[in-house]
Amino acid sequence: MLYLRIMTVALLTAPAAMAQDDLSAMFGKDSVRRDGVTSTFKSTRIINGQSNETLAKGDLDFRVAHRFGDIGGSDGGSKTFFGMDNSTDIRIAFEYGITDRLTAGISRSKGSGSLSQLYEVLGKLKVLQQTHDNRIPVGVTLFGNAVVTGMKSAAEEEEPSYFGNFSHRMTYTGQAIITRKFGNALSLAVLPTYIHRNRVAFMDVNDMFALGIGGRLRFSNRVALVVDYFLPFREQASKDYFAERGVKFYNPLGVGVEIDTGGHIFHLNFTNSTAILENQFIPETTSTWRNGQFRWGFNISRRFSLAK
Amino acid sequence: MKQIFLISAFLLAGFAVSAQDIYSCRNATLSFFSSAPLEDIDAKTTQGVSALNIKTKAVYFKVQINTFQFKKKLMQEHFNENYLESDKYPHAEFKGKITDNIDLTKDGAYPVTVEGTLNIHGVPKTYREKGTVTVSNGKVTAASKFNVRVADHKIKIPSLVVKNIAEVVEVSVNAVYEPVK
Repeated sequence: MLYLRIMTVALLTAPAAMAQDDLSAMFGKDSVRRDGVTSTFKSTRIINGQSNETLAKGDLDFRVAHRFGDIGGSDGGSKTFFGMDNSTDIRIAFEYGITDRLTAGISRSKGSGSLSQLYEVLGKLKVLQQTHDNRIPVGVTLFGNAVVTGMKSAAEEEEPSYFGNFSHRMTYTGQAIITRKFGNALSLAVLPTYIHRNRVAFMDVNDMFALGIGGRLRFSNRVALVVDYFLPFREQASKDYFAERGVKFYNPLGVGVEIDTGGHIFHLNFTNSTAILENQFIPETTSTWRNGQFRWGFNISRRFSLAK
Repeated sequence: MKQIFLISAFLLAGFAVSAQDIYSCRNATLSFFSSAPLEDIDAKTTQGVSALNIKTKAVYFKVQINTFQFKKKLMQEHFNENYLESDKYPHAEFKGKITDNIDLTKDGAYPVTVEGTLNIHGVPKTYREKGTVTVSNGKVTAASKFNVRVADHKIKIPSLVVKNIAEVVEVSVNAVYEPVK
């Protein structure tokens, strides 16, 4: 009986003694994380479209983007080495993180569409950051740019590149980027977009709304599939007018692979759109994935930390 | 009946004693430093938690990986995303014991050896490291500096950036403890 009593005491005190040594219990179980969700996208661009990401304070992002010529069809094939000989658009940009939430940038692109020789000023503001505890379920970032063309004015007043005054050279984009990261591998984005072009061809539209969707699916820490697609809302009368003249507008779709090498981020992608800036690829895409009118392109981002 | 009373008394006594013996710290400083041919890396957090039982000499540390602050935010992003995978493995944790035959209930500065398991990146490894514990007027401070081989915790460094990231990282920990009431 005494033996039993000692046993009971020993058994009951043993866990108590162990609890004393297992100090981890003091800090409770891992509580729900309240901090913000980071790295929804790896880069500030999905492919054609913006991601919600802004640069960290003091980071300089040097970006080069390229879109080549049609892979197939009458302009592609082996004679242009599947479009490699023709580049439809090239963009070189410097973007800088003023704060962790505010990015500003300048760029020069060749331009593809009615206007070329484009200079861009852009701003991007992270308004909301998704949180792990879902107190804020989505991330919201605002993007805007103003683009001016440096090209010589056309002689004919009917041309969209005829500039009666300076403001005719301007186009603008306003966009909200709403994102959510699901777990560790999948991120999705919805991009309500507004494009304004001061001067357009007859029956083209000055103001255009579009809805973009995009996503990123991570295969590993360094490789991901990226996709984005835009649905521009063009008036039927405008569509009909251009269709009669043999011009059909298509919705831009980009599909690519994103590779993070540790300093550079590469996007190797295929798009039917020829232009790089929102101001052009949303309202002016007239090439289709059919007929070989898609192209390969790349975005390269190299970030430098200037913060000391 | 008497037996139950006895057991209860034992249990209560056990808890009462343990609370007085345990010291805790909610703002432990952890930092690490590494030097590679192209880049020095250093990062620091003051949001570690720690506890020390001065009777059993058990030691506990825990830190949330994404609280480490780097000067270069891009480095911090890579640290969390590519190397420590802090979404998958949000914490580093150490459970161990001071192995020296010392009495931490008395004031003094003690060089100590701590042995235990450090779990980083979901990979546990046994460490035996030197440190110091200082006890004065009911305040306890502890400090240690030791090396961690990143490969021991299955943290992969691609050959492309091998010149930027060192294979061995020097980790420093500092904690100031208060008695748990």
